[in-house]
Amino acid sequence: MKPDRKVPVSEDEINFSVNGDSYKVRVQSNWTLQYVLHDKLGLTGTKEFCNEGACGACAVIMDGRPVLSCMMLAIECDGQIIETVEGIAGARHPLVEAYVKHNCMQCGYCTPGFIVTAKALLDKNPSPAEEEIKEALVGNLCRCGTYPQHIKAVLEAANNLHRG
Amino acid sequence: MASDEMSKIQELFDNLKSDKYPLEEYRSVGKRGVRRIDGYEKATGYAKYTMDVQLPGMLYARFLTSPYPHAEIKSLDTSKAEALPGVRAVLRYDDPELPPGADLGGHETSDVPALPRVAHFQGEEVGAFVAADNEEIAEEALTLIEAEWEERPFVLDPEEAMQPGTPLVNPEAFPDGNITNQNQGIDVEEHGDVEKGFAEADKIVEFKFIQGLNTWIGPERPCGVFRWNGDYPEVWVKQQRPHICKRSIASWFGGIPMNRIQIHCLYQGASFGGWSQMPWNMGGHYCAAVIARRTGRPVKWMFNRREDFYGGEMDIGIYYFKAGAKLDGTVTAVKGRAVVVNQGMPVFGFVKHFAENTRIPNIYGKTEAVLVNKGPTTATRCEQNSNCYCLNEVFSHLADALGLDPVEVALKNDGAEGHDMTWLNEQKTKLGFPASDSLKECVEKGKAAIGWDEKWHLPGTKRLPNGKLHGLGFVWTHEWDDSGGTSEIAIRLERNDGTATILGCRSDIGVNAETAYCQIAADELGMRVDDVHYKAQIDATFFTMTPDTSTNMSVNGFAVRNAARLLKRQILETATTSSTTQLGSAPPAFPGKKPEELDIKDSVIYEKADPSNRKTLAELAKIAGAMGPASPPLGEPFRTGQPYLNYAYTQPLFAHSWQVQMGTYADVRLRFCRQAHFMEVEVDEETGEVEVKKVVTVNDVGRVINWEGCEGQQYGGAYMGIGRGRSEEVVHDPATGVMLNGNLLNYKIPTMLDIGSIDTALVETGMGYGPYGLVGIGEDIATVTPTLIGPAVHNAIGKWVEYFPITPDRVLKALGRA
Repeated sequence: MKPDRKVPVSEDEINFSVNGDSYKVRVQSNWTLQYVLHDKLGLTGTKEFCNEGACGACAVIMDGRPVLSCMMLAIECDGQIIETVEGIAGARHPLVEAYVKHNCMQCGYCTPGFIVTAKALLDKNPSPAEEEIKEALVGNLCRCGTYPQHIKAVLEAANNLHRG
Repeated sequence: MASDEMSKIQELFDNLKSDKYPLEEYRSVGKRGVRRIDGYEKATGYAKYTMDVQLPGMLYARFLTSPYPHAEIKSLDTSKAEALPGVRAVLRYDDPELPPGADLGGHETSDVPALPRVAHFQGEEVGAFVAADNEEIAEEALTLIEAEWEERPFVLDPEEAMQPGTPLVNPEAFPDGNITNQNQGIDVEEHGDVEKGFAEADKIVEFKFIQGLNTWIGPERPCGVFRWNGDYPEVWVKQQRPHICKRSIASWFGGIPMNRIQIHCLYQGASFGGWSQMPWNMGGHYCAAVIARRTGRPVKWMFNRREDFYGGEMDIGIYYFKAGAKLDGTVTAVKGRAVVVNQGMPVFGFVKHFAENTRIPNIYGKTEAVLVNKGPTTATRCEQNSNCYCLNEVFSHLADALGLDPVEVALKNDGAEGHDMTWLNEQKTKLGFPASDSLKECVEKGKAAIGWDEKWHLPGTKRLPNGKLHGLGFVWTHEWDDSGGTSEIAIRLERNDGTATILGCRSDIGVNAETAYCQIAADELGMRVDDVHYKAQIDATFFTMTPDTSTNMSVNGFAVRNAARLLKRQILETATTSSTTQLGSAPPAFPGKKPEELDIKDSVIYEKADPSNRKTLAELAKIAGAMGPASPPLGEPFRTGQPYLNYAYTQPLFAHSWQVQMGTYADVRLRFCRQAHFMEVEVDEETGEVEVKKVVTVNDVGRVINWEGCEGQQYGGAYMGIGRGRSEEVVHDPATGVMLNGNLLNYKIPTMLDIGSIDTALVETGMGYGPYGLVGIGEDIATVTPTLIGPAVHNAIGKWVEYFPITPDRVLKALGRA
């Protein structure tokens, strides 16, 4: 016996690009982008922490901006170009090596969200000042308290980007 | 290796004194810039956590939780939930397969229901466990469960819980009252005669302070995955103590042999003590195990974000103190009484740091530990949080009352067990340690970094040009690695390339101990640090010390070192003896040499008298044949006594070691290393806002193995500690008992902009009992620094804020403005 669902869930197909790959995914209207990336596409670097837009762990880059994928419905992402931490790592962005060198991770759960947010910053502002880095990363929470290292790593990555 | 070498190795197991056999040369230990072995995985998002696990056919499970702080289920209708499409199983509290109690682990063994009928706090996992095709369906099914609850009276305040006639908090487990059952809930610690001490005092202070409830916040939710491979469990645990999980699972369902259970302990989205210390977490595994067997599918269970908030710090409560001192700052007596919430951990006592850290001869502390209808409490970062608060609240109040510099008062009273530094230095010497003045070294570094001598002033006397009040705070205590731990660790030299693998399942919570173990193994073996790796996530059956109680380095560090020394002995013996296999024998790699004539450096074995006589470890271990280490190529004849191609004829190179450390709380070891922390604040009298401008954190870790790891614990611990002291509090509605702020929007952990700058400094006196003289650091800073804001704010406003966390409203209240 199938009881009536209280809230009918609609489904739709979306087409979007993630890290340069095209995807065609059937999504329910209430699925978040974080859920689709993490659970359906297996891009598990996009982490769920607060699940309400308060921590930045699920950040991805969309339209050149860092967005919180736990607050974004996947069904709204049709036609979008998305970059996740896996894409940033795959492109060998200097942020990754700078993050390792400066020990920006402890438990590491929030680290991908920081890298994504920092990449979005450097895309827009290749020579950020320390205060600008802090402003950009203030929405990313790290319970292990790695904050001081991120500033050093982003500055170094910016330098390395200039050197090409 | 000569027999005296072996006896040295045996002697290493005794770590109740200083390390008698440190290395002569350190090539990676204590060096900066050693690449952390988990860095790239974590930076790229490739690091896998238990929440990331997806298995074919996996179900997702969640618990029903209680809407009331104290209530029992009278009846439960799960039919609508069971009928929801996508729901595969609903486990109920009255399921015949659920025993009345099971060992669900925790700090030790336990015997509690995996799925209780009665809730003793709002949000408790009770009644039902729903497994569905995805989490969303499971969550929706929970809303379809119709439970008839009978509400019971509840108690939230610890002092109220103690009053006669107060409703029972947990009549099921504690029918006789609300005092916890350990030591009848009362712990009394007494040294000397406090009344005599008060009679000798020139100045006596009396005060109280209150600690509000705070919690750990693990970024990864509590979760786990359970799969049956036939009769054998395969379990993914988000736990600091994987071997305790295994021990619990082995006791379920009539008993499962340990050697049939496979544990995976992936990267941990941190836990800071927390759920790993209590049975609730393993209740999810028990329910998942039942459902996984019933459905034939793996089950992932999860708490939601809010459910993580229900657990909190232990020994939260009200502390009353009376303390006396001479005019010169010599403390003569400390007497305290505390009513604290302790939901099941041993009652610990709160005056231990006075006994362990000071020359104060007269000490009395009485803890009354009670239950309330809030979530479980346990060590959050460390159970010594209350001791750190008490030591520093007393010292700060006394220094203030005497008009003295608090740093000077600390130095004047430094010592141990009622004895002064002269006595303590004698003990250091007896045990083979240098007689360094650790606190003095720490405060000198800290004072210079914060500008203490230029900036310190009497309380409430410095207004800045911006109109705010300026304050400096100082706190101190000893370093600790504080509980008995044992460890079994093995190291193997791999075939083919002669790299070394450290084995021993262990939870990685981010402190980067794994890299430090590789450094120890590398230096002991004479290998390049890049040639050593720790496979911590693999269940290699060894029981490895958990990453708690700050015993990472002192217990596991010793075990790694001992294993490495045993392995090095094997390597050099192998290099100098002929190897025999079923197929014949091969000559030694260094014919005619004795082990003691050889050494290893940079992963190369060489003859000490003739370094040009050398072979790499890879050449010694050699490549393995297709049929195993000593096999010739398939179909080829084996030529006895002839080295055949490059195939290896050496024995497998493997060493297994162990380490037992007695806990210092069994009164075994004196503490010699100290730590000191400083804070500069600006307080706005109009708003009560406390701006933390600068923090300086100084720790004597005895000996640094991994600089970046130690410093990470310093600045990282400062962020967490200052959050706990300034903004973090779990709030319950007194009328309904419902938790009000179980989310990261309303429970404020520090962001990047919430603290000015943090300076770190490390001191290396070599006075730790661990290998090379080290002592742990991981728990310390986040446990000590919550109290730092207290004296800093007092120094600014000249009034004591008696309630932690020190939020703006409490500052205004202290100022008489609210």
